[in-house]
Amino acid sequence: MVVLSADSQTLILKYYKMIKNYFKIFIKIAGQNKVFTILSLFGISLTIMFVMIFSMTIERIINGSGPEKDLKKMIFSDRVKTILTVEGRTGDYLWNCSRTLCEDHLKKIKSADLISMYSGTNSWEFIFNGEYHLRSQMQTDAEYWKVFDYKFVQGRPYTEEEVINKSNSAVITRSLKELLFAEDNEDNNVVGKTIRYANMDLVITGVVEDPPDVSQKAKGDLYFPYTLLPNSDEKYSGRFNVVFKAQFKRQFKAIKQEAQEIIRRLDAADQENRIILSGPFSQVEKMLAGYGDPEEYSGEWNMLLKYLLYALAFILLPAVNLMALNFARIYERGEEIAVRKSFGASTGILRGQFLFENILMTLTGGAIGIILSYILVALLGDSLSIPLGFMNYVPLSFSFNIIVFIAALVSCFLFGLFSGILPAIRLSRIRPAIYLKGGEK
Amino acid sequence: MIKLENISKTYRTKEIETLALDNINFDVSEGEFVSVMGPSGCGKTTLLNLIGLLDEPDKGKVQLDNQEIVTYEDKKTARMRNKLVGFIFQSFHLIKELNVYDNVELPLIYRKMPVSERKNRITEALEKVSLMNRMHHYPSQLSGGQCQRTAIARAIAGNPKIILADEPTGNLDSVIGHEVMEIMNNLNKNGTTIVMVTHDEMLARSTNRIVRLFDGRFIS
Repeated sequence: MVVLSADSQTLILKYYKMIKNYFKIFIKIAGQNKVFTILSLFGISLTIMFVMIFSMTIERIINGSGPEKDLKKMIFSDRVKTILTVEGRTGDYLWNCSRTLCEDHLKKIKSADLISMYSGTNSWEFIFNGEYHLRSQMQTDAEYWKVFDYKFVQGRPYTEEEVINKSNSAVITRSLKELLFAEDNEDNNVVGKTIRYANMDLVITGVVEDPPDVSQKAKGDLYFPYTLLPNSDEKYSGRFNVVFKAQFKRQFKAIKQEAQEIIRRLDAADQENRIILSGPFSQVEKMLAGYGDPEEYSGEWNMLLKYLLYALAFILLPAVNLMALNFARIYERGEEIAVRKSFGASTGILRGQFLFENILMTLTGGAIGIILSYILVALLGDSLSIPLGFMNYVPLSFSFNIIVFIAALVSCFLFGLFSGILPAIRLSRIRPAIYLKGGEK
Repeated sequence: MIKLENISKTYRTKEIETLALDNINFDVSEGEFVSVMGPSGCGKTTLLNLIGLLDEPDKGKVQLDNQEIVTYEDKKTARMRNKLVGFIFQSFHLIKELNVYDNVELPLIYRKMPVSERKNRITEALEKVSLMNRMHHYPSQLSGGQCQRTAIARAIAGNPKIILADEPTGNLDSVIGHEVMEIMNNLNKNGTTIVMVTHDEMLARSTNRIVRLFDGRFIS
């Protein structure tokens, strides 16, 4: 058991008393200046609500869930830029990788433990029982099922042999099975039954649990071998993504080097085109790189800095607003500050008091913002999507995450600090003589 | 206890310079009760502010409790104010958001002090001004006299050697004013040095010494 010395106890008591005193003042002042309090809390709550939802989104993207639970062990190549020069004029494509680029080159990289190629998620519209439905389909190779951790409730994934042989195999989700094959129960085995897609009768080899809405890569309802569709891709650009899975992060560097070396070789051998490959990037790097031009990606730290500056600006604007409100209120507090100075409060203590009160205010606003964000997410659920500009729309769902919570707390603290520091300095410089005499301020 | 030597203080605004104190010397012995009188604007409050280290002279030396104030470093002056000086103001200047107990506690929250001693000091101070039954009241619930008695309790809670009172009875009727003076006289009898600014000749006469200021200078 830790025993504090008498001196430490009195020191703790001193600060406890000071903080208790500040707290009382904060509560009273917040109650007296209702308009100011409401205005302050409104700005803070709204900011923190956005910070929370933003953090939830980022956290979901980075960590992955469902079939993407090993997201941190994966890196992706999903953008290639081809610059074509014809008769002195140049034009460029920026698209996914072509089937040939994936099959003949990227899938041959040796540093990865597993490599899979898969199409992007394509919408699939159909009429069933007289009703219109919008679902999605993906075309994949067999490795896809090893890279992503789908939970099979029936059957199995299609094999490499089936992919090579262009077998009419398919994997569907449980919800699609429920829709198309009605009475869903464990005995209703649909393996071997057929499903019609693009004039093909696909034989179901397996049924998987639906991936969560937050999935970024693994998010189809119907999956079938990519070889079933004719190769209509350009030389380098097409409709495929490549994922490299590695047990250890150190492998990522080697994979990236190999991929870029392949592209360099292809580029050197091609007289007509210039090729630039995006990545391969981890999910975090991809988030920072976005879906933009691979030539413009200036390294993750630069991008991170850019986004941090955006975030800072986002917090700074309402903080400046609160700062202005605080400046306007300095003179209201003049008498109290002068009295405190007279009885021994130093400038540092007064600054501390004002910052404490301000941070208490922002934390209160933050608490409201956190509650609001959860209410918003709980009410709107999966339909709430955040267009963040550099990523796909990410649906959210109600969850508590300590990192998100800490992000909100840190934001509140920074908010309080930004908006309080300058008014606190001004306040602490008040000349007590003027306020105590009640003269001109 | 208090020694001011060749003190001058000028207040400057964009338009005007006002000489508040002009090369004055002022000594107050330990346990003395001195009244400072003079017309409005003669420099009385400036004198108190300089003694209380709330303001810095342009010229001259200030000495409190045999310590010369060499630098007006913020932390140092704050500590000296906290330990040595208790202020009583004409307009009481109680913190309206705090109750009587918390107002009286104010000088003590800036000190390291055991909880029992803190409570004793506050209780003692409130007993001296007969306000024990009002300790949970807020300033808005008190009469003017009670506010000033709270302010006196606050000034003495830290056991300062010096009390600086700026027209402490100025906002009170004569009966309450005399009650306040009685409390201050008792404090002085117990050894506290008091410098009081007042316009009331009668009250001033009840103190040990009267000094008069005119245009920033003492007059005989």
